[in-house]
Amino acid sequence: MFDRFDIFFVQQLVNGFSVGLVYALVAIGFTLIFGVLNVVNFAHGEIYMIGAYAGLLAILVLAPPWVALLLLVLAAGIAAGIALERAAFKPFRRFRDEASLKSKAMRESTLLSSLAISIVVRESVEKIFGADMQAIPRAYADAMQEPISLGELAVASGQIAILAAAVVMFATLQWILKRTDIGLSIRAVAANPLGAQYVGVHVDRTVIATFAIGSGMGAVAGLLIGLYQGTIFPAMGFAPGVKAFVAMVMGGLNSIPGAVLCAIVLGLAEAVATEFFGQGWADLVAYVFLVLTLVFFPTGLFGAGRERV
Amino acid sequence: MTTTRRSLLVAAALAPFAAKRATAQPRRVLIGYQLPLTGEFSQYGERFRNSALMALEAFNRAGRLPVPVDIVFEDTRSDPREAVAVARKFVDNREIVAVLGDFSSSASIQAGRVYAEVGMPQLSQTASHPDFVKISPWQFRNITTQAYEGPRVAEWMRENGVRRVAVVAIQNDWGQSVVSNFAEAFRAGGGEVVATQFFNPGNREFRAILTEIARARPDAIYIGMFYEDGAAFLQQRRQLNIRVPVYATSSLYEPKLVELAGAGAEGVFLSTTFMSTSPEPHVRAYVEEYRRRFGSDPNMFSAQAFDAVNILLEAIVRAWPEVTRARVREELAKTRDFPGVTGVTTFDPETREPAKTLARMRIENGQFVLVR
Repeated sequence: MFDRFDIFFVQQLVNGFSVGLVYALVAIGFTLIFGVLNVVNFAHGEIYMIGAYAGLLAILVLAPPWVALLLLVLAAGIAAGIALERAAFKPFRRFRDEASLKSKAMRESTLLSSLAISIVVRESVEKIFGADMQAIPRAYADAMQEPISLGELAVASGQIAILAAAVVMFATLQWILKRTDIGLSIRAVAANPLGAQYVGVHVDRTVIATFAIGSGMGAVAGLLIGLYQGTIFPAMGFAPGVKAFVAMVMGGLNSIPGAVLCAIVLGLAEAVATEFFGQGWADLVAYVFLVLTLVFFPTGLFGAGRERV
Repeated sequence: MTTTRRSLLVAAALAPFAAKRATAQPRRVLIGYQLPLTGEFSQYGERFRNSALMALEAFNRAGRLPVPVDIVFEDTRSDPREAVAVARKFVDNREIVAVLGDFSSSASIQAGRVYAEVGMPQLSQTASHPDFVKISPWQFRNITTQAYEGPRVAEWMRENGVRRVAVVAIQNDWGQSVVSNFAEAFRAGGGEVVATQFFNPGNREFRAILTEIARARPDAIYIGMFYEDGAAFLQQRRQLNIRVPVYATSSLYEPKLVELAGAGAEGVFLSTTFMSTSPEPHVRAYVEEYRRRFGSDPNMFSAQAFDAVNILLEAIVRAWPEVTRARVREELAKTRDFPGVTGVTTFDPETREPAKTLARMRIENGQFVLVR
């Protein structure tokens, strides 16, 4: 039993931590949108995929420097997020009366409309680019896939980039939410959309801003993870999307720090599980966690607070 | 019911002529080819037809028989139901002496039941499911299965001094067959399988598996997966600085593997039956003509079909002049050392499973290179 706790175990923790960061990157934007609208945006995985494809196209056509590449992808993500909001969410907010705004059915129809958009987008990308994995120009792929040895441990340059991206995104988001006017309106709408409207917050504009921020971050995550894993394909958003969803539920649905923490716990648990079961069973860990959380902590591990987002 | 009655009537009406035909030579020999020419697998059917036409034209030009041979192509979309309909059509055509196809195992098996009932030799270029040749003595295939490949790779590793091996495969029927066939042969040869890991289809994160494997300190890793998973696996192996040599199933023979995995793919060993860059003259001739006529490189599927057609034509030549379904079946079962573009093929007369020479390759400087 204890012979398991060797250098390989530490390596396994490093692996798990980086997997967790991948889930966390996706979960940040996902949770932000849920916090505001109280509805799951099923198309977040496709925003993630669009980010990767937009980045890949930019690399192939322009071969821009990294900063420009990230800004381009951020812009593409923001545009895609605004378009998504317009197509899948806006039409269901056209009734202004109190009953409609409180109606669960209204909210839940966006569940299906976002799912529909996600299928259309994924299939279209498949028609245009094909369903197989895209080759990434070596100069960019190598920058994210270079092995780095730390004593007996090994990490990839991309893992460090993803850690940095997660920290920057998390900090930026906290800054936006706590220090800017738009952040204040986002928090107001998240806490009580009707109340926010009554005190003069422009709810529509706030929702669009939320989508822009969440999707921009989702797109950047898609590109970074796609380059780091070397896997850019139409269905790439699905697997991390599911894990990000689990992390979000575990974290209490509307707590971004909670989702990030749970994402990392999830990644670590999956890697450690591989030590004891076949890897085929590791996926089970996420769902066992989900069920345990729902049974014992119905509001999530970090969802008890009154402050949303 | 009507079909049976009608075919009985036709058979009765033709009976006097049939007796005569056995002595008089037929004006042509007809083969049926069922394949997907529309639908999601049409790119494969297209390749089969291209190769079949090439083989057939060369055969008729050479004048090996006094009468020409013809192939009737029928589209099944590789759908098991359509495959059955086409099979019925083929068996009702008394002129057809043998059938090629279908593409997928499930379509081939469904059609195979019809052929087994009536007694029509069927040769599939790609049906690799174990059950296919077990339907009846009328089924043949010229594609090898893991039951053949696994022991060959095990032998190759033994020759290279590998004693301890870790196996990683995709979690599906095929992946299971990769592991069981290889592991059995490797253990029988005195080797030790120190770790076995299956991963769920769609998973591209192999670091946990790789770390777990590295702890077992194997001499080599054997991977059974497709090229997209393989590319991710090989890259992550490089990132984790695991310098153990990797052997792979023939399914990883795909130029895109190198494109996707980059430096990670260096040094991988794998076996294949067809190599479009092979220096052998008959393979080069085939590749060049295919490229000239159809403007693309033939792949493993095109080559499988090319050999299937030629194997069947050879059997017909041996059966001549008595080219009946039963005789063609008998001669197919006698196929020995057929020099195809996918290697030298021999059919086991009992199990009707093919044995082939497997070429050994290694990825060097981003190229698949033959190992001598």
